[in-house]
Amino acid sequence: MNEIMYPTKSGKTLAKALLAAIIIAVIVFVTIILPSEYDIDPTGVGGALGLTVLAQHEEPVEVEAALEVEVTEAHTDPQSDTVEIVVPAGRGVEYKFKMEQFADIQYEWKTNGPALYFDFHGEPEGDTTGYFKSFTIATSSEMSGSMTVPFAGSHGWYWKNTTAEDVVVTLKTEGHYEVTGFPHK
Amino acid sequence: MSFNLKWILGGLSFVIAYALAYSAMAHGVDDSTQSFLLSNQGTAIIPFLYIGAKHMVTGYDHLLFLVGVLFFLFRNRDVLIYVSLFTLGHSLTLLLGVWYEFQVNAYLIDAIIGLSIVYKGFDNLGGFKRLLGFQPSTKLAVLIFGLFHGFGLATKLQEFELGGEGLFQNLLAFNVGVELGQFFALAFVLILLSYWRRYPSYLNFSTISNTALMSAGFMLTLLQLTGYFTS
Repeated sequence: MNEIMYPTKSGKTLAKALLAAIIIAVIVFVTIILPSEYDIDPTGVGGALGLTVLAQHEEPVEVEAALEVEVTEAHTDPQSDTVEIVVPAGRGVEYKFKMEQFADIQYEWKTNGPALYFDFHGEPEGDTTGYFKSFTIATSSEMSGSMTVPFAGSHGWYWKNTTAEDVVVTLKTEGHYEVTGFPHK
Repeated sequence: MSFNLKWILGGLSFVIAYALAYSAMAHGVDDSTQSFLLSNQGTAIIPFLYIGAKHMVTGYDHLLFLVGVLFFLFRNRDVLIYVSLFTLGHSLTLLLGVWYEFQVNAYLIDAIIGLSIVYKGFDNLGGFKRLLGFQPSTKLAVLIFGLFHGFGLATKLQEFELGGEGLFQNLLAFNVGVELGQFFALAFVLILLSYWRRYPSYLNFSTISNTALMSAGFMLTLLQLTGYFTS
């Protein structure tokens, strides 16, 4: 099999070609590629051309979105409520709040003694499939915390009383929401 | 003269712009592909075909090497032989590399792929014949560098936990996709090259074209070595 023959350049041409290739590569690499890819900018050219932003991986879109939420929230004062909920013996009760996406709620509840099984969860607005997302499932006589809800919809607690006595839950809330109360009543 | 100048600038900017245009995708797998690969379970022939093809079409390193290989191949038969050797080489290491889980550093492999472009550019200028006194086999070189390109392809897939389920089918699909993408990209490269070949500027500026090729190869090597040393 015959190999393909190329025109063979003179040693001088070869040396020039190789040198030119290396010099161009190094110049482009140092001034453009390094700043763009790795935010390494020894010459300052990349920064001057605005290329270094390419290698900085923050996502400005998300930052803006978060700022917007803060701003809109700052315009409305949080409301606060306290409610006593009776969970009848052997029954379960839900208490809900209507909330916008990324709205916040601070909560604190405790029972008059016995621990209750509960499910702190949210149901997306307009959902008809019965889907819900649980944030916390546990058995406790008290709980406090805060939540920024991931989607708009109905958020709140389901408590189940397996004891023979009625249990009273005292729930204190503060945040941006609308009280729905007992959704099934 | 101004006509020739156009070709110099055209040729240079083609090679360099191509190298830079896709450099944002440093490892050739973009975010959405990544999330697919990470979440995929089981056999997914068509998606892997697509990923393979896309990787090749947007894989400037593989394409620049092929431009170098095709530069002085004027007969269709030679194009077929050399492309087949390249395909044989990269398929072998792609399949075996993923199947037997060879661990090769992606940056180092990509640096070698960059050097393969430099090699081919230098070879096209008759550099090795001048240096060594004989022409090293160009067919063997394509085959050997094909093996390295295959390892490069393998590392792209290995960055993800592909799992045992459907691995063989997915791997084959990816490989076939790579060949489809290569075929597609080669068609464009050949159309451009054969158009340029009709003009005397093609041979007149082969030195400059291959110098640009070497330069692009050096850039890729430097880029990958930086990645290796900073990661």
